[in-house]
Amino acid sequence: MRTLLARSAAQARYVLIGSSLLLFGFQMIIIGQAAEIQRTQTFGLVEQLLPAFLQRGLGSRAMLLATFKGTVAFGYFHPVVCLIVAFAAMYVATEPAHEIESGLVDLELARAVPRRRLLTRSLLLAHLAIAAAVTVMFAGTAIGSRIFDTAGMDMPPAAMRLELLVNLAATASCFTGFALLVGTIAGRWVTAFTTAALTAVVLYLLDFLAMGWTAVKNVAWISPFHYYAALSIVGGDASPWRDVSILFGAGAVCAAAAFWRFSRRDL
Amino acid sequence: MSAGPAIAVEGLTKYYGRVIGIEDLSFQVERGEVFGFLGANGAGKTTTMRLLLDLLRPSRGRASVMGVDCHRDSLAARRLIGYLPGDLPIYPDLTAREYLAYLARLDGRPVPREYLDHLLKRFDVSPLDERRRLREQSHGMKQKIGIIQALMMKPPVAILDEPTAGLDPLMVQAFRETVAELKRAGGTTVFLSSHVLAEVESTCDRIGLVRGGRIVASGTIDDIRRDATRRVTVTFADGGPPLVTDVRGPLGPLLASLGGRAIHDVGVEPFRLEDYIAQFYGDGRR
Repeated sequence: MRTLLARSAAQARYVLIGSSLLLFGFQMIIIGQAAEIQRTQTFGLVEQLLPAFLQRGLGSRAMLLATFKGTVAFGYFHPVVCLIVAFAAMYVATEPAHEIESGLVDLELARAVPRRRLLTRSLLLAHLAIAAAVTVMFAGTAIGSRIFDTAGMDMPPAAMRLELLVNLAATASCFTGFALLVGTIAGRWVTAFTTAALTAVVLYLLDFLAMGWTAVKNVAWISPFHYYAALSIVGGDASPWRDVSILFGAGAVCAAAAFWRFSRRDL
Repeated sequence: MSAGPAIAVEGLTKYYGRVIGIEDLSFQVERGEVFGFLGANGAGKTTTMRLLLDLLRPSRGRASVMGVDCHRDSLAARRLIGYLPGDLPIYPDLTAREYLAYLARLDGRPVPREYLDHLLKRFDVSPLDERRRLREQSHGMKQKIGIIQALMMKPPVAILDEPTAGLDPLMVQAFRETVAELKRAGGTTVFLSSHVLAEVESTCDRIGLVRGGRIVASGTIDDIRRDATRRVTVTFADGGPPLVTDVRGPLGPLLASLGGRAIHDVGVEPFRLEDYIAQFYGDGRR
């Protein structure tokens, strides 16, 4: 397993390092901006800039985005952040499709390597990538708060940030399971990754539109992002653990289907 | 591992939707034998090899390696096999040395260092070549690395799909010597496919010809040579027109049928495996 894991990590290193740097930089930028707005006492202007539909959809919680705490926390559920973490995990999770397409699977499975080990490897590496991503984000916030001297400002507490990151990791884990399933069905890697990535974007938009569109609200439950109620966590009026269980559970179901499918298909 | 043939295939069938990959294929390869699996492109050679490795799942029938079922006990079967795919997949970022080391680690079977060195030397892979990335290597060099990775752990059964494709004549000779060496040592059965019939003739003990997913001819090269139709030209001492005819089997009956006419010369076209094979493809079917 370690041999396969190390090889896959080496293959995906540029994507994983690149996405980690982006996430780290993003946290630094957002905390720098938040500190600047706080110092100039202009969060009132930010409040006025919030779109009306967002205020209608989120109610009083929307105002959290116009605070130092809310802005820093926004770095953990910004669409760019959510999608980068999900994409990096899905990139790794769709590797079996690449191995089949390139014929590498012939070399690997001509040896006494069980088929399921390729999926276990991808699943494991994807979760290591998610863990690395959220760790880097946490570190980015911690380092950013020192660099931009946020002492005395209303930083989101570490426990809250951890809850947000666990929820983000669970969302990415759910997409990992989905991508693994797509990767075991698709004939080409580009098809697998594009399908998984586009699905993630569409489901994000679905959850976003559900804030102000009742018709969409009825189907928003199918989106994993629906179970990442970040503003409720920031507002302190919800615990993420039920949502986290649903997300990990859905990811596990998809992964189980992927294992079942992979054990039966021609390679 | 039980006694019996090295490879046994019984009624093996693989359909890709409506397309026939192979159908009711049955044959055996004895232990220590070098078996050439011949056929046109799309005849089912690679499909058969990938079924033996459990990369494809059979529609029906069964296959075993050293008595171990290739599907039901595929891990144990694959532990007995060294495989060279037809199109060798590579990790372009790895050097040849890293590639072989990675596959050896993945394999888990011990790789005898002296044998690996012996193969590297025989296939003229220098330490410099070993240190070059695979994306920078020529097709021939990659093919040599492919052969080495299939044989380096001295597997009981080597399955080689087009092993000499892209090799220069010297390396083809090196391959023949390697197979001859394995044959002499007796521990490895070689199952290879090839389009180079001269190579098959010189390397294999026995061949099987597959067409349309079925074995249409099999036997030793000598059996086939005896069985093959040859063009015979008889010229007569009296200056009459020569007799040109196709003969299958011994020449005795033909000569006896000439009624004692004085013969000046008898010319027999040498046996060519390609002519023998071509007769099975006369109607253009694969």
